[in-house]
Amino acid sequence: MSGTADTLTPDRQRLELGALSAPAVLFTVGMIAFPLLYTIWLSFQSFSSTGRQSFAGLANYTRLVGDNEFWHGLWVTLALYVLSLVLQLVFGVWLALVLFHAKRLPGVVRSLFISPFMMPPVVAGMMWLVILDPSLGAANYILTSFGLPPSDWLASPSWVIPTVALIDTWQWTPYVALIVLGGLQSLPPSVYEAAQIDGASGFKTFQRITLPLLLPTIVTATILRSVDLLRFFDIIYITTQGGPGNASNTLNIYGFRVGFEFFNIGYASALMLTLTAIVFGVVLAFNRLRGAVAW
Amino acid sequence: MRVRTSIAISLARAGFAVIAASVVASAASAAEFDWKKFQGKTVTFLANNNPVSQALLTHKADFEKLTGITLKVDGYQEQQMRQRLVTVMNAHSDEVDVFMTLPSREGQQFAAAGWYAELASMTKGEVAADYDGAGLSQALVKAGTFDGKLTSMPMNLEGPILYYRTDIFKKCGLEPPATIADVEAAAKKLKACDSGVTPFVSRGLKPALPYTFSNMLHNIGGSYIANGKSNLCSPQGKEALETYSRLLRDYGPPGVVNYSFYQISALYRSGRAAMAFESSNELRTVMEGGERLKDTALIAFPAGKAGQVPTAIGWGMAVSAYSKQPDAAWYFVQWATSPAVQKMMAVQGIAPPRSSVASDPEYRKWIDEEPVRQQWQAALDVLAAKGSSEVGYPIVANPESREFIGQAVQDLILNQKPVDQACADADKGLDALIAQK
Repeated sequence: MSGTADTLTPDRQRLELGALSAPAVLFTVGMIAFPLLYTIWLSFQSFSSTGRQSFAGLANYTRLVGDNEFWHGLWVTLALYVLSLVLQLVFGVWLALVLFHAKRLPGVVRSLFISPFMMPPVVAGMMWLVILDPSLGAANYILTSFGLPPSDWLASPSWVIPTVALIDTWQWTPYVALIVLGGLQSLPPSVYEAAQIDGASGFKTFQRITLPLLLPTIVTATILRSVDLLRFFDIIYITTQGGPGNASNTLNIYGFRVGFEFFNIGYASALMLTLTAIVFGVVLAFNRLRGAVAW
Repeated sequence: MRVRTSIAISLARAGFAVIAASVVASAASAAEFDWKKFQGKTVTFLANNNPVSQALLTHKADFEKLTGITLKVDGYQEQQMRQRLVTVMNAHSDEVDVFMTLPSREGQQFAAAGWYAELASMTKGEVAADYDGAGLSQALVKAGTFDGKLTSMPMNLEGPILYYRTDIFKKCGLEPPATIADVEAAAKKLKACDSGVTPFVSRGLKPALPYTFSNMLHNIGGSYIANGKSNLCSPQGKEALETYSRLLRDYGPPGVVNYSFYQISALYRSGRAAMAFESSNELRTVMEGGERLKDTALIAFPAGKAGQVPTAIGWGMAVSAYSKQPDAAWYFVQWATSPAVQKMMAVQGIAPPRSSVASDPEYRKWIDEEPVRQQWQAALDVLAAKGSSEVGYPIVANPESREFIGQAVQDLILNQKPVDQACADADKGLDALIAQK
């Protein structure tokens, strides 16, 4: 630099700021753009089981259309997404309200409430795998102690999706609650004072004031959880590896296996780009919704 | 199409004799051999963090002291190790010099992709006088040979064996099972006799179960491929599918479709299973805490119509085709698969792929300390003598073939399909894989 900011012309200031920030900008763009462009290129390649590579045009994408496992994976992904998201939003808002109103709750208890999402997913997966083991796990022990029938949990094709959704809900509800709690703390007190003067009940206040005012925050939480839930991988990989059969084989798990177990990187890239497009579409839709509910 | 791997049969095959001869010929250059030749170099070893590599790497300092080579270990769990390897090899990178490989699973695939360096020439080159290449299980050496190319050196011998509780068998008036029918009859009687234990447990997890299922299929007389087509719907194939799934469905633990070695060992070790059909490698895990030491007996899986054709495989050590220092890498491979190191690993519970180690007085002393170890060695002797290395389809797409086998078995365990439909659905997908070049 040849002078202080005060002595520089605006053009020179812009130039120097641009030069200083360029490496960081280039690095960031490179880190995002290169993997994406490389994956797009890979999705137009064909890889044989032995790793031989050739240009495949749109073959990997046309294969998607006729691939039953892809459609099944899409269904599993969306089912898990909807179920987990609904549960996490409902319990997240509830937990946020509890934490907001229970001002005297000791810090330790508050920390306990929010601790699950700080746990690495692999640890959480292993822990629930042990708890839900139909033979050795605590879950069935508790059920049978109360005279209830035991469940196969993760080993049942019909129960595996609800069970995985419950594990994810256990882990990520506190995260949603923290976001919503931040929103609750920023709501204007004057609205509540007016409602109190008008004699509104607690439920009416929640229904007519809290919930509408919280909507932008809830949509933000929805966007953040959507990105994670549509790319659901870790808990499933640890607990079921997509099974039993293919009952929990999400698109992400399917793509991983195609790429890294069967070495068809081209088709796996096409699968993952399709999933990325779905994630982008959902995020864009909710982003528009956020604009519509802003106040 | 089944590849029988008994030592006697394999040694008799003329083509393979060339490789065996090259391993033997290694002694020729032993006189000039110098362990310090590559002093100062660094060799990178991509390891599967399993009991085999864990036992080997307890002696890492010995290798570094002997050779002056620095050994850089890149250790991962099995699947993560393969992911790392795929990334490195697809990039033709020299980041990995030596890697662990399971020839029965990925051997054909990796060999066809050109990822393995040819080892036969190395075994003819610089070899220590006491290496004794011919002393390695020639069945396992053959299992690591593709299109006449030696791709890996065996590190251990392993296969599924039957662990059973002698006390529960005695209480229920049962004799040790001699046939597959005996296993099922015993499971039935155990279920009625002691409702507190799971009569029989084995692998139900889709990609893991071909390891044990293949033993059942071969004992019954089935094969994976006949006349270039998938053979799961043959009478023997259907019998194997039905028997394996029936044993797990009717006598296995709830949730068995998610069971692999981890859950099986935990269930058996805790005393809640009477029979466990699981890997010989799990001996140490099963015996942890000592509770099962005095009430367990071990045998190779009982015979079917075709007798005993146990699954016998082993991890191998391969040199990367992209390594820039294959000679230094070979020094590590030959040290790790040498009689001295394999003896040290053997007394750590890693079954040796050498008959000389198996009969070594020090190893025998360790074996004779516990009856269960004697039975373990006896079962391993059956594996070495009669074993087949065929786990899943002997094709390039072997890993994918295991998915279809696993799916067919799970369909039956979960009562989702009749056997005719389960095997037909699997055969359809498997025929497409067989047709792939």
